[in-house]
Amino acid sequence: MSNTESTPSARLQEFQTEVDSMKVDGGKANPERVWTTIGALLMIAGIVLALIAWLNIQGSGKGAKTDDFATMAVFGLVLAVVGSALFIVNSIRRYFRYWLVRLIFEQREQTDRIIAS
Amino acid sequence: MTPILELRNIRGGYGTIDVLHGVDLVVEAGQVHALLGPNGAGKTTTLAVCSGQIAPSGGQLIVSGRDVNGVTSDALARSGVCLVPEGRGIFPNLTVTENLRMFTHAGVSLDDVLEKSFSQFPRLKERRKQISGTLSGGEQQMLAMARALAVDPALLLLDELSMGLAPIIVEELYERVAELAAQGVSILVVEQFAQAVLGVSTVASIMLHGRITRTGSPADIAEELTEAYLGGATAHP
Repeated sequence: MSNTESTPSARLQEFQTEVDSMKVDGGKANPERVWTTIGALLMIAGIVLALIAWLNIQGSGKGAKTDDFATMAVFGLVLAVVGSALFIVNSIRRYFRYWLVRLIFEQREQTDRIIAS
Repeated sequence: MTPILELRNIRGGYGTIDVLHGVDLVVEAGQVHALLGPNGAGKTTTLAVCSGQIAPSGGQLIVSGRDVNGVTSDALARSGVCLVPEGRGIFPNLTVTENLRMFTHAGVSLDDVLEKSFSQFPRLKERRKQISGTLSGGEQQMLAMARALAVDPALLLLDELSMGLAPIIVEELYERVAELAAQGVSILVVEQFAQAVLGVSTVASIMLHGRITRTGSPADIAEELTEAYLGGATAHP
C-alpha cells in the first residue's frame, strides 16, 4: 500500500499477496440465529432432563440412586436457565437490530422527503 | 485473468431481513463497472458486502480469486479495497487536514496524502483548516474522494458520488474517477442517476429487487434503463 509509484500490474500483484495472506474465518451473517437455536435446544434438553429426574425420583426413598437423579435434575435446571438466557438475549438482539434498521430507513426517507420539498 | 472481485449468488441483508437475493457480479481488473438501479434495489448493500461490512448469509464473495466470506472490513481496507460511502463518509468534527491525516492508515505518509489531495482538489487546500462538517456538499465529497486518491487502492467502491450535488461538481468528481481508472484502478461504482457514470464506465449492470437483471456495455444499458426504472411503463404505454 505504501508504494504509491507502483504500476497497475505491480499494484495488483501486491493486492493479490495481501489477499492471500488475509485470515478468513468463513463466517456467516446472523450469528444470533445460531445462538437462538442453541438456546432453545438447551432449554428443551434441560427441561426434559429435569422431568426425567423428577419422574424417577418420585415416590422413592432416599438413597444413592435418588442422589444421582437429584444431581441430574439440578444439571437440567442449570441447562434450562442458561438456554433461556441465550434464547432471550439473542432474540432481543435480533429484534433491536430489525428496529434499528427500520429507524435508519425511516430517517433516510424523511431526509429524502425534506430535500425533495 | 482472475477477476479482482466476484460475487456468486450472494444473499445478505440486515439481521433477519435479506436485501440481496442472489447477486452475481464480476469486476475484472482495470474495469470500471457501473451498478445502476432505483432506490431500494440493494446497491448500497452490495457494496457493504464487497467491503466486508456485511457478512453474506449465502453465496461466495471472491476477491482476487480467493473466497473471503467472513473477512473483516478492516482487513479488506488494509489490503487495498477502498469504499467511499454514500453521504460523504468523512469525520465532520475534524478539520480538512485532520481528516486527511486519518487517511494515512494505509502506510502513505501525510505529506503524500496532502500533496495528492491538494493537487487534485485545490479547493481543499484553501479550506484545509476548516471543520469539514461546515464544508459544502461538493467539498465534503471531494474530501471523501481524496481518500480514494491518497491510499492507492487496488479496488475502489464508490457509492452514489452524485447524491445531492450540483451537476458541475459531479462532472468534476467523475473526471477524477476517470483518471483513477486510467491508472488501472478497478472501480465498482453505484449510482442511481445513470448519466453521471455511464460516460466513464466500461461495463454496466442493472440491479432490481436484490438481483442483477442485466449486464452489458454502457450504451446497451442506457437504452434499457428507463424501462428498468419504470417497470416497462414507457415500453407499454
